[in-house]
Amino acid sequence: MTSKRGWRARAVFLLVLCAAIPAVGQAQANAPNIARGPDGKPDLNGIWQVLNSAAWDLQDHSAALGVPPGQSVVEGGTIPYLPAAAAKQRDNFEHRDTDDPAEVTCYLPGVPRATYMPFPFEIIQTPKLIVFSYEFAHARRNVFTDGSSHPSGFPDFWMGDSRGRWEGDTLVVDVTNLDDRTWLDHAGNFHSDALHVVERYTPIDAGHIMYEATLEDPKVFTRPWKITMPLYRRIEKNVKVLEYECVYYLQEKRYGNAKPIGVP
Amino acid sequence: MRTALFGISAAAAVVAMIMMPAPANAQEKAAPKYVAPRTADGHPDMQGAWARRGVGLQESNAPNSPLGDFGSTGQPYPTVFNTGVSTTQDRSVLQGRPTGVIDPADRVLPWRPEADAARREFIPKMIPPASLAYIEKSARCVLPGPLEADDRHPYQIIQRPGYFVMMYEYNHVTRVIPTDGRSHVGPDIRLFMGDPVGHWEGETLVVDTTNFNDKTSLGRTVPYHSDALHTIERYTKIDPNIIDYQITIEDPKMFTRPIKIAGTFQAAAGETELMEFACAEGSQTLPNIFGFELAPGRVPANR
Repeated sequence: MTSKRGWRARAVFLLVLCAAIPAVGQAQANAPNIARGPDGKPDLNGIWQVLNSAAWDLQDHSAALGVPPGQSVVEGGTIPYLPAAAAKQRDNFEHRDTDDPAEVTCYLPGVPRATYMPFPFEIIQTPKLIVFSYEFAHARRNVFTDGSSHPSGFPDFWMGDSRGRWEGDTLVVDVTNLDDRTWLDHAGNFHSDALHVVERYTPIDAGHIMYEATLEDPKVFTRPWKITMPLYRRIEKNVKVLEYECVYYLQEKRYGNAKPIGVP
Repeated sequence: MRTALFGISAAAAVVAMIMMPAPANAQEKAAPKYVAPRTADGHPDMQGAWARRGVGLQESNAPNSPLGDFGSTGQPYPTVFNTGVSTTQDRSVLQGRPTGVIDPADRVLPWRPEADAARREFIPKMIPPASLAYIEKSARCVLPGPLEADDRHPYQIIQRPGYFVMMYEYNHVTRVIPTDGRSHVGPDIRLFMGDPVGHWEGETLVVDTTNFNDKTSLGRTVPYHSDALHTIERYTKIDPNIIDYQITIEDPKMFTRPIKIAGTFQAAAGETELMEFACAEGSQTLPNIFGFELAPGRVPANR
C-alpha cells in the first residue's frame, strides 16, 4: 500500500531522473554561448588564430634564438615515424633554415600546417561552402559542405581537396590530394603523397574552437596520429586578416641585387 | 437609370483613356528593369561563379610597349584549373554598352607630365629587364592589385550578412569586403590589394579601396602606380547572368583626374568550381631570368 511519504519520494526521484536524462546525451551539443546559424548549426564565421609554437615544432621543444619553446600538440607526445622516415626528418631538421618550403621559400603551407602558422585566418561560412582564408601567403581552402565527395582523377594540390560535413556541433573535414612538398612544421616533420587528414572543428564556447587533426600516411608513419589545439577567436574591434605577401619579400631578397642573365 | 449608368460608365471610360499612357513607339518601350533576388539580409544576391570581362586600362597614344599580353610568360602551372572560362550566351542586355576605359572617352589618359615622362623612360627597360625592378609585376606571381588579375580564370562571389567576398581563382586572391560600416585601416598599413570597405546603395554595391602599396601594376603601359591610389567599384546585377562592373581609378601622383573603366562579370557556364592556382609554386620566370632558383635550399621543383 502506498504511503503519503512514499509518493513524495517517488516524485522527487522522477524529477531528478527527468533533469538528468537531457544532460547525459547533450553535454557536448549545448556548449555555452556558441553562435549558431539559422539552420541551427554552429556559426564558425570570424577570425581565428592559435596561441602555441606548433609552427616551429609540433613536438616538445626548447627555445632557440627566434624560436619560442613549446609543449607537444601531438597526442601521446611523439610522431610515430617509420625508421627510414625518421632519418629523413632529422635530415630536414638539419637543413630547415634553407629547405623549409613554407617559412623559407614562401610556398603554400598545406594542411594542417596552415592552421597553426603564427598568423590569423578567416572562416567565411555559407551552407554549401566554407572558405578558409589564411593571412600567410593569402592561402585559401574551399571546404565543400554540399555533400560532394573528393573528385577522382585530380592531381595533388598544395592545400589539398577538402570535403566537410557536420557531426553534431563538429565540422569534420576530410582532406586528400595533398602535395607532398609541404612540411608539417619548421622542424622538418613531413609527409608523403599518401597523406590523408581528417580535421575536427568543435566550438566549445563563443571564443574558442577545439581543433583536432588526425594524420594518416602509411608511407611515413607507423600508424595514424593526432594533434589537438584550441583556436582563439580574434575579438579586437574591426580586426582584419591583412597580407603577408611572403613571395614578394623573398624575391626582393633573392633577386633584388642580382643581374638578369645577359645584363653586363 | 440605364442612361445614368451609361453616362457614368462612359465618363469612366473617358477618364480611363485619359489616364492610360499613350501607346509608345515600339523602339522606345522600356524593358522591365531586372531586380536581383535577395540574400537573407535583404541585399541583391550576386553569388556564384563568374567570368570577368572588359576590365583593363587600354590607352591611346601609349608608348610602344615591348610587353606582350598578360600570360605570355609561359609558366608550367598545374594542369587542372579553369582556363578561358566559358559564359552563358545571352548578352543582349549588353548591347551598345562600352567596356574598358570609358572616361576619358578617347582613352588619352590624363597623365601628369612628370609621371608620363618617368614611365616612358621605365618601359623600354622591361624587356629585357634591366633588374628585378623592371620585371612586369604580372610575371612575379604576387598579389595583382585592382586590375591585373588574369581573367582567363573565374571569380566566385559569396555573401553573408556584413560581408561580400570576392574570390579569384587567379593566385587564390581573396577580397573580404566588409559592408558593416567600419572605417579603413590606418594609413601606415599598405596592402597589395588595398583595404576595401563596401556599402549598399540600393541595387549597387559600392566598394571604396584605399591603403594600396605601390608594388602593383595597372597595365601593360602603366607598369606601376603610387601609394596614393584609390579605387571605387560599383557592382550592379542587371541580368540573371550579368553583373555590371565599374571601377574608378584615382592616383593624384600619376594622373590629373580619375579614370573610369567599365566591364562585366558574366555567369560562368555549368558547374564551375574554383580550382587551386598555385602561382609562385609553379613559376619558373624569375629563375629563368636570373639563372638561379628562388628557393635557397633543396625544395623539390615543379613537376
